[in-house]
Amino acid sequence: MRKRAGAPFYIFLSLFIFVIMFPFLWVFLTSIKPPIEIFAGFNWFTTNPSLNSYVSAINTRPLFLYIWNSIAVSTLTTVIAISVASLAAYSVTRLPIKFKGTILGIVLAAAMFPQIAIISPIFNLIQNLGLRNSYMGLVIPYITISLPLAIWILATFFKKIPFELEESAKLDGASPFQTFTKIIFPLAAPGVFTTGILVFIAAWNEYLFALTINSDDSWRTVPVGLSMYQSQYTLPWGDITAATVLVTIPIVVVVLIFQRRIVAGLTSGAVKE
Amino acid sequence: MRKKKFQLNEKQLGYLMVMPALILIAAITLWPVAQSFWNSMFDYRLNDPTRNQTTLSYQIDMETYANNYFYIDRDLEALENDAEGTDLQLVVSELREDIDSFHTEIIENPDLQEQYEIVDEMVMNFEPVNDRDLRYGDLDSDFAQDYSGTLQSAQDTFTETLAEVDDEGLESSLTQASSALSSVDRSIIKPNFIGLKNYGKYFSDARMWSAMGNTVFFTVVSVFFELTIGLAVALVINRAFIGRGAVRAAVLIPWAIPTAVSAMMWSYLYDGQSGVIAHYFSQIGLISDASTLLSTGSGAMFSIILADVWKTMPYMALLLLAGLQTIPDALYEAAEVDGANKWQRFMNITLPMLKSAILVALLFRTLDAFRVFDLIYVLTGGGPANSTESISVYAYQVLFAQSNFGEGSVLSVIVFLSVALISILFIKLIGSDLFESKTGK
Repeated sequence: MRKRAGAPFYIFLSLFIFVIMFPFLWVFLTSIKPPIEIFAGFNWFTTNPSLNSYVSAINTRPLFLYIWNSIAVSTLTTVIAISVASLAAYSVTRLPIKFKGTILGIVLAAAMFPQIAIISPIFNLIQNLGLRNSYMGLVIPYITISLPLAIWILATFFKKIPFELEESAKLDGASPFQTFTKIIFPLAAPGVFTTGILVFIAAWNEYLFALTINSDDSWRTVPVGLSMYQSQYTLPWGDITAATVLVTIPIVVVVLIFQRRIVAGLTSGAVKE
Repeated sequence: MRKKKFQLNEKQLGYLMVMPALILIAAITLWPVAQSFWNSMFDYRLNDPTRNQTTLSYQIDMETYANNYFYIDRDLEALENDAEGTDLQLVVSELREDIDSFHTEIIENPDLQEQYEIVDEMVMNFEPVNDRDLRYGDLDSDFAQDYSGTLQSAQDTFTETLAEVDDEGLESSLTQASSALSSVDRSIIKPNFIGLKNYGKYFSDARMWSAMGNTVFFTVVSVFFELTIGLAVALVINRAFIGRGAVRAAVLIPWAIPTAVSAMMWSYLYDGQSGVIAHYFSQIGLISDASTLLSTGSGAMFSIILADVWKTMPYMALLLLAGLQTIPDALYEAAEVDGANKWQRFMNITLPMLKSAILVALLFRTLDAFRVFDLIYVLTGGGPANSTESISVYAYQVLFAQSNFGEGSVLSVIVFLSVALISILFIKLIGSDLFESKTGK
């Protein structure tokens, strides 16, 4: 008996979407203005669109390198975190081990750890391993963020698979590990994929570790690289808005393609079913 | 007949599978936190070579020692000659004997002997000693205190004598000897363990309390608005309508883009000269001048909260909407039959049914907001005049801008303890069903 949507509702909805999207809209409109118009008032639309800001954004800083670094770091993090987390989540949800509550408690506590509380020892560790300004130098600390997140979400997905499947596999003589690799993991593939997207986004967005560990410009990731466009003396809004548009496009594409999955993943941890 | 393959039973496999995750979490989350606690009890600075490690024992800087020991005997001998026939001569000759015996003890110490010879050789050839292990050695703490005490009391004696004499030659050799003593003393490094002294410093530090105040204010206000607006939006859009996909995408994009990127966007929108939001706000009279937003403390705090609510409220609405959709319609129908009005239905059905979803969302949001870093660091840098500095930003500044890992770790520990306290309070409220729903019971 859901309420039907009327005209006032759609007006509200449009307003809501407009408010949420306004910053993007304005940033996009600025990025196609010729530089002189950016500082000359608040016209919404330029009559003279230009790509100058984009050219300048790419030339002043290695933006595509930042994007490539982010892709490499986030992909490595996702692969490692998902492999380790799916084993742990399977064990916690479906195998007869003790201390399940304690293990999940540790996982949840680790997810809540403030990064600032571990950054200095991690910095020393990465420094001593000689991994500053490298991909692994960021992948290692990113495990702290992504592993608990992945275990937590995967546990929800694994729980939904019917337990009868395992019992019949056992009767057919499959070993527990075979049951995991041949039956449960393929069935949980959509959930694993969803978890992968969320882990990837979390790694893509990380700022504090990226700022401190990879301080060399050629190893910077997108969030840090973008924040370096502002200097103490000038605020090149044209470059900044163009760069923002360029780095936002991949995220928008991912969100548009996978929105249903992302919502399913995000809400799985929060809502009991 | 096939040989039976070695197989783990389910339980063993279970422990084996959970092990890598637990080891990783222990190694890169739990262990570093313990180290932060440990570091917070030291005077530990990365940019000071005598304090860039945490040490519990006295150490000797061999390079400085070998370099200065070479001069000390020469300077003391010169002083002894200048002071011939006075009380001072006795003092100096006694001191020379003492120092000589201390030195003998060092060079005859089996742990240090070889090290001293190598370093001394290098010093003679004017080679720098860059290898840490070669340059520093451990000293017995009684010995180090004796040696250092002798050197210091001799310096005091010299300073007193200096005030009494008026022979220029003697004055200059006193000064020279005194400075040679203090150079040798500098090579004896005290342990930088200082217990809870760093904590004491921060308890009376106004900047720490103001950062804590800013963090709590930011957390409470932004989470409050995110929750209330998010709940209102969720209630409104909890119905069948055309364009759900568009709404979902609109809601997800602010959540999905990096906070640092959205902070850059907002810093443009708030800018005093070219910022469109600052411009419109001042036109409708919300603020007196377009530059107010980022150049005053209250304006900057408002700006940060608005940017945070913009980024996170849609996400909150999404979580609460998912919670709303699990409430069976039959409950509302029954309540309507019984004559409950809209408000009563909200208070007696929606809120109680949504309670656990709200608490879980609140827990994660509160923790996220409390450790806020990127948004403030990029948008205001903690300014103007530290008025928007959060505790994480302050910790970052002490740790990495000042390279002070000892004092910075205190701030890290404070953030950690606050977060732990908040989690415990929430988990008490939520109860243990947070885990039970996952463990397959």
